[in-house]
Amino acid sequence: MAMRSARFQGLVLSLLILSSGFADFSYGLSLTVSDTECVYEYVAYDGDAVSGNFVVVDHDIFWGSDHPGIDFTVTSPGGNTVLSMTGKSGDKFEFKAPRAGMYKFCFHNKYGAPETISFYIHVGHIPNEHNLAKDEHLDPINVKIAQLREALESVTSEQKYLKAREARHRHTNESTRRRVTFYTLTEYLALVAASCLQVIYIRRLFSKNVGYNRV
Amino acid sequence: MAIPSLALLSALVVLCLLTSPVRCLRFDLQSGQIKCISEEIKINAMTVGKYSIANPSESVPLPESHRVSIKVTSPYGESMHSAENVDSGSFAFVTKEAGDYLACFWTPEHKPAATISFEFEWKSGVTAKDWSNVAKKGQVELMEVELKKLEDVVKSIHDEMFYLRSREEEMQDMNRSTNTRMAWFGFLSLILCLSVAGLQIWHLKTFFERKKLL
Repeated sequence: MAMRSARFQGLVLSLLILSSGFADFSYGLSLTVSDTECVYEYVAYDGDAVSGNFVVVDHDIFWGSDHPGIDFTVTSPGGNTVLSMTGKSGDKFEFKAPRAGMYKFCFHNKYGAPETISFYIHVGHIPNEHNLAKDEHLDPINVKIAQLREALESVTSEQKYLKAREARHRHTNESTRRRVTFYTLTEYLALVAASCLQVIYIRRLFSKNVGYNRV
Repeated sequence: MAIPSLALLSALVVLCLLTSPVRCLRFDLQSGQIKCISEEIKINAMTVGKYSIANPSESVPLPESHRVSIKVTSPYGESMHSAENVDSGSFAFVTKEAGDYLACFWTPEHKPAATISFEFEWKSGVTAKDWSNVAKKGQVELMEVELKKLEDVVKSIHDEMFYLRSREEEMQDMNRSTNTRMAWFGFLSLILCLSVAGLQIWHLKTFFERKKLL
């Protein structure tokens, strides 16, 4: 009787430990970067898997070409650079945090035009076998639930990435459509204006004040 | 024998829960600067946000002047939440329109230019659901709550797939219409060129015939 209640209490406790370890840090936000913008995220345990993605959604570029890209760096709490990407218009990233602490995710815009960046960062923690060994009441099913949760988070993260890329693609398409329409109509106007100018010039050459017998 | 170790374990768990990790994103704000964060939220979604001034060093207490002002606006410009010179706060609302919701933070000017760190947490949709009520509603086992959470996540993934599919279809329609439009423009430009040339020739012919040169 005492054994059964102890086991039940152990199960409840293990679930409590697990729910505290269900790191749920995940965000899908957009930020406008003119020069450098940094975001800080706290990683609670050593060896946590930090994953995420970012996509540059272009501002209205009417005349110029596509933006050359954004530099992305991740700095650990000790000051070392964990990850560094240059000239990217969007990418996924994943790394295992070597130590716990405050990690810095920085976006740097080399060129003056402000860009909007959609980013998503997720810190995932799965209680591993080390914790299992410490407490014999920790049911392996809770580890499986944590793994399942992490797998679902990766699907959600991929969806957010696809959504941001689709938004960028749509932006580019709309800008292309507007630009082509504008350029075509301008071309028509230029053609009609050039031919009118031609006719007016030729008429002037033959007008009475000029003296057409000179031609 | 089992009971004392269980008491120790429970104390450890309580300690873990009390010092539970900070679940927020932290941003830096220069004094006098505005920082805006936007999120695209669907219609009729519950959204919850929490913000507070963060202390980067544990030992030094924060000066009183470290305050932040916030304004949350809907895609149509309606202000959903605003606060002036507070050091923490929260907001929650159900969205009436789909689109980009903007949360803008700014600080008043500080005489020696200071950088304020603030923490901001913004959850919407399935992640904003408050699970503590569901758990309290009876002897619901914790594992069942976790599995219910997973079921909600799966449902939201399913809905998101439908949304992505419909957006892709819209974009395909737009591309097809652009393609048709370009074909018409090419044809039209050829007709325009020919007609302008024809008009020129006809006009100059009648002009010269009137001037009795031809």
